[in-house]
Amino acid sequence: MIDTFGLIKDRLDQSPHLLRLGRLFSETVLIEVGKDEYYLTFDKGHLVSVVQGPSRKTPWCFALRTDATALTKFWEPLPEPGFHDIFGLVKIGRGRVDGDILSLVKNLRFFKEIMAIPRTQKEVAQ
Amino acid sequence: MTIEAITGRYLTVDVQGVSQRIYFEEAGQGRPVLCLHTAGADTRQWRHLMNDAEITAAHRIIAFDMPWHGKSLPPEGFETQEYLLTTEAYIDTVLAVIDRLGLDKPILAGCSMGGRIALQLAAQYSDHFAGFIAIEASDFQPAWYDIDWFHRPDAHGGEMGAALVSANISPYAPNAERWNTMWMFMQSGPGVFRGDLSFYTRDDSLIPRLPDIDTEKTPVHIIVGAYDLTCTPEDAERTANAIPGATLAVMDELGHFPMSEHPEGFRPFFVDALAKMP
Repeated sequence: MIDTFGLIKDRLDQSPHLLRLGRLFSETVLIEVGKDEYYLTFDKGHLVSVVQGPSRKTPWCFALRTDATALTKFWEPLPEPGFHDIFGLVKIGRGRVDGDILSLVKNLRFFKEIMAIPRTQKEVAQ
Repeated sequence: MTIEAITGRYLTVDVQGVSQRIYFEEAGQGRPVLCLHTAGADTRQWRHLMNDAEITAAHRIIAFDMPWHGKSLPPEGFETQEYLLTTEAYIDTVLAVIDRLGLDKPILAGCSMGGRIALQLAAQYSDHFAGFIAIEASDFQPAWYDIDWFHRPDAHGGEMGAALVSANISPYAPNAERWNTMWMFMQSGPGVFRGDLSFYTRDDSLIPRLPDIDTEKTPVHIIVGAYDLTCTPEDAERTANAIPGATLAVMDELGHFPMSEHPEGFRPFFVDALAKMP
């Protein structure tokens, strides 16, 4: 999983349009996958660090909580209905978003597109 | 280089005492089919069907931009108004356009909120129509999001709206059409998507009217995409089951904006729907 977030980091750095979309986004996002926590810290759209938890003292802006199977399905090139979008995961009961939802919504295109990066990568690290 | 068969004009109608200048497009000759766009979008969603020579050989496909949408300006004095669409205003607008264009019992094809109002019209004004194609249409959907997100001074409602509705587009949609579909939401005027969603997510008056729809007189065919999170196949099936004689088709690889996001995938379902109409 940590390798996949590393892949997102590398691909993001090579995607000028995504960096432009995220130019005002400097926050930490918690991705919770089952019992595992990953803290993704962004600075002006760049993913500058991915730190695996658990941590009780890392502040975060908003969180996406899901499970490993759902995330694997989400990252398939042609996901099944419901697994095709982060709000789809929420709608089918396989995900939850909380925290500063307005920050997520303001940056929704950026966040959705960077989370979908592994879909276009043939070998997704598990 | 091509010049498309679609032509656009304007008409002016009085809706609930307010003059509305409405933009409409059409192509083809034959059975009139009036098409209603989704919330937060406009007539361009129907561009592929209007450019389909086989369909327009036997059908006059007409679509119009609701007031506040696309090329239809908001009414005079809009600068002090809060746009909130209502079932009554929507019904009156559709009937006024039909009357102004002199359409004789058109088939009504509506998507999303257009599908919702198609079912309202089927229940209350069926005499004006030949039949109803209700796409991504259901009895009622409460919002699974805060509609006020889409109209606030510190963020771009269009960009947020587009990012949200992308959840309803199928991953099978061709990339160019996915983005053309989202562009319309990006262009939507401030507060318009919110005002449409107010109607769509708060008015549940259709539910008790569904059993009154007489499909012997005017058939109702509901079409729904499996990737539609807003009107799911389960929502559409529940709605179809509540209408005696209604038929339902599920499109496995399409989402909430099928005619716009994936025209090739949608076409056979629309042709099949037309064949069910008298």
